Amino acid sequence: MRVTFERRLSQPWWLSVVVPVGAVILAFVIAGILFLATGIDPLSTYRELFNAAFFQTGSLSQTLITATPLAFTGLAAAAAFRMKLYNIGAEGQMYMGAIFGSAAGLYLGSHVSSSAFAIAGMIVAGIAGGAAWALISGVLKAFFSTSEILTSLLLNYVAGLILTYLIFESESYWRQTKGFNATVFPTGKQLPKVAQWPTWTINLQGGIVVPFGAIVAVIVAVILWLLYSRTRFGFGAQVLGDSERAARYSGVRVRRKILAVMGLSGAIAGIGGASQVGDFAHALDGDPNGLQKLGYGYTGIVVAALARYNPFATLLVAFLLGGLQNAGNTLQGPNFPAGLVGVLQGIILFCALGCELLVRYRVRIHRKAAAKGTAAPAPAPKAAS
Amino acid sequence: MKRSRIALVLLATAGVVALVFASATMGGTAKKAAPYKVALILVGPHNDGGWSQAHYDGLQYVQKTLGSAVQTTYKENIAVGAQFNQTVASLVSQGYQMIWATSYGMMTKALAAKYPKVIFEQATGTDLAPNLGEYFGRAEDTVFLSGMAAGAASKTGKLGYVVAFPIPEVIRHANAFALGAQLTHPGATVSLVWTNSWFDPAKEKKAAQSLVAAGADVLGQNVDSPAAGQYAESASVPWVGYDSDSSSFAPKSWLTASVYNWGPYMVKETRLAMAGKWKSEFYYGSINDGFTKLAPYGPGVTAATKAKIASYMKKIENGSFYEFTGPLYDQTGKLRVAKGVKMQVLTGGTNSLYGMNWLVKGVIGSAKG
Repeated sequence: MRVTFERRLSQPWWLSVVVPVGAVILAFVIAGILFLATGIDPLSTYRELFNAAFFQTGSLSQTLITATPLAFTGLAAAAAFRMKLYNIGAEGQMYMGAIFGSAAGLYLGSHVSSSAFAIAGMIVAGIAGGAAWALISGVLKAFFSTSEILTSLLLNYVAGLILTYLIFESESYWRQTKGFNATVFPTGKQLPKVAQWPTWTINLQGGIVVPFGAIVAVIVAVILWLLYSRTRFGFGAQVLGDSERAARYSGVRVRRKILAVMGLSGAIAGIGGASQVGDFAHALDGDPNGLQKLGYGYTGIVVAALARYNPFATLLVAFLLGGLQNAGNTLQGPNFPAGLVGVLQGIILFCALGCELLVRYRVRIHRKAAAKGTAAPAPAPKAAS
Repeated sequence: MKRSRIALVLLATAGVVALVFASATMGGTAKKAAPYKVALILVGPHNDGGWSQAHYDGLQYVQKTLGSAVQTTYKENIAVGAQFNQTVASLVSQGYQMIWATSYGMMTKALAAKYPKVIFEQATGTDLAPNLGEYFGRAEDTVFLSGMAAGAASKTGKLGYVVAFPIPEVIRHANAFALGAQLTHPGATVSLVWTNSWFDPAKEKKAAQSLVAAGADVLGQNVDSPAAGQYAESASVPWVGYDSDSSSFAPKSWLTASVYNWGPYMVKETRLAMAGKWKSEFYYGSINDGFTKLAPYGPGVTAATKAKIASYMKKIENGSFYEFTGPLYDQTGKLRVAKGVKMQVLTGGTNSLYGMNWLVKGVIGSAKG
């Protein structure tokens, strides 16, 4: 018996539904076996997990706190990866967005009385910070063909050090320097009320608090979708992603495109940073045990990959993974290992990417006798494109 | 194509959610008689062999001492900021009535005000609110004593100290360590390497390595894991730990450590809270009330050193000695605390224990990280 993969000529519509659902179920089964092996009851664990993520009172408010930054970093990754521009730097671009955004918030918050103006200013500053940081990698890629994977990744560490420096190792504009508490432990200056982002409460589940950033993320997703599906810019970017030569022949200006898409990706991550300050922290969080410990930028890559770079799917996956992470946080304790949700998340990604193969390829099992008659097997599939 | 992708993700989500919702609604939750619920939030893993472990031991002590009258839990590896606030929210919604935060920067007055019925206690901070108390131990005394052991064990007088963040808490411990070392080894220097993290075994090991490579023949630390000790053991360099008794990680190199005994204080406050008599205060424990201690000595501490440390410990206990008494000079040789003046915990600005931002003479490194 021999098993081969053959490329599908056409993909039946139901496959693209069955396969991902199957992949997620498979992931839960595999993780369940793992849990059983470590003495954890999988069924009750899953029940608790989803309760804590989506159903119990207050859980959705908590989930949105994690899902919002993941939506931004996921959209940032999706925007760039679509063009096969591998911007791994959403993490650092988010820090830069936070730095610029909080500077704008601190300044505008004490100079203007209009909340809308202060918040708009923070978003614009966040965009500027994130885009500028991403463009370092963009320029290096466009003009010197330097791998954007390496430069954007390494710039994450640089951005992290700058963030810590501003709060812990200097008396910068961002740092609270007044009062005795400020000398005891370094913290960021508190954002004036005017510059703090609003929330909306939905009257469900004891009040679901929706941060303003979550709404901004939805708007960004819509813009991104329009850009990639309805404009020449997006079309050019996708052609460039598929074949640089084809793009050149069809008149796409490659350098300009790289710069634009890198900047766009960084800008989205930058809004995520501004949202961290405006929605949640209300001060620049320079503590390496704070924002930097959470790795939203890296999880964003997982989010985008699971969503196959579709902006709306990215929002959904961010919501799901945000829920899982929130649940892991809620449930961890003496009887629930803290690393469990991370393991589950890893297995889901593994299964989802692995099963992608089944959408594009048909598995053919050849019996010995019949094998002779069939055509030569298709070459092993390359990475899904 | 695109539409089908969206549809697929939507359907996948709906499928899983429906499945789990079905199982979630089936599971009923049985209500028990209500014990007092106490939670502990840790910045690192509960078994880090240092800071977080000491707090975790304290929580275990609460559970053991108060038995079924309390129900305890802990949350580990929690980032300060949004994640901490999330954790508090979920603990409160689960009915936890008393929450212990174990790292500065976790609690804010605003957060405490959001849950006026919950009692918060935070280690190492200074923010007080009607339902937020602060507590810590006078570790500078015991770190000073552990520094004496380090100084005595050094042949060259060059010591290394692995430090987390350039903040007053860590700076005063580094200073206390140096003052102790200089008492048993006049002229001793203490070199610092900052890790910029409370818990990062890889960085801590690297810091220890670079200190030894630069000539340090005894190591000490103000970080949370015993990684520096494990390296010290492999390099046969004497080592002074911190927070917990981690002698098992470096049985030969182990000298001693300043350790915290959080348990009794946690029990005391929990009892008060249960009786409705808890009051917000700034508590600073010491050797006298058992809050801070010196861990058992390792094989490298001589009888003479032990006797000397014991005599100083006695003097500290009865108040006839205090390591932060002037004259104290900073790194540049400038007199910072005049002769006979004792540094206070909270008053005195940068010349207070909680505001100290300068390093004493003989410490090599920057107080800015």
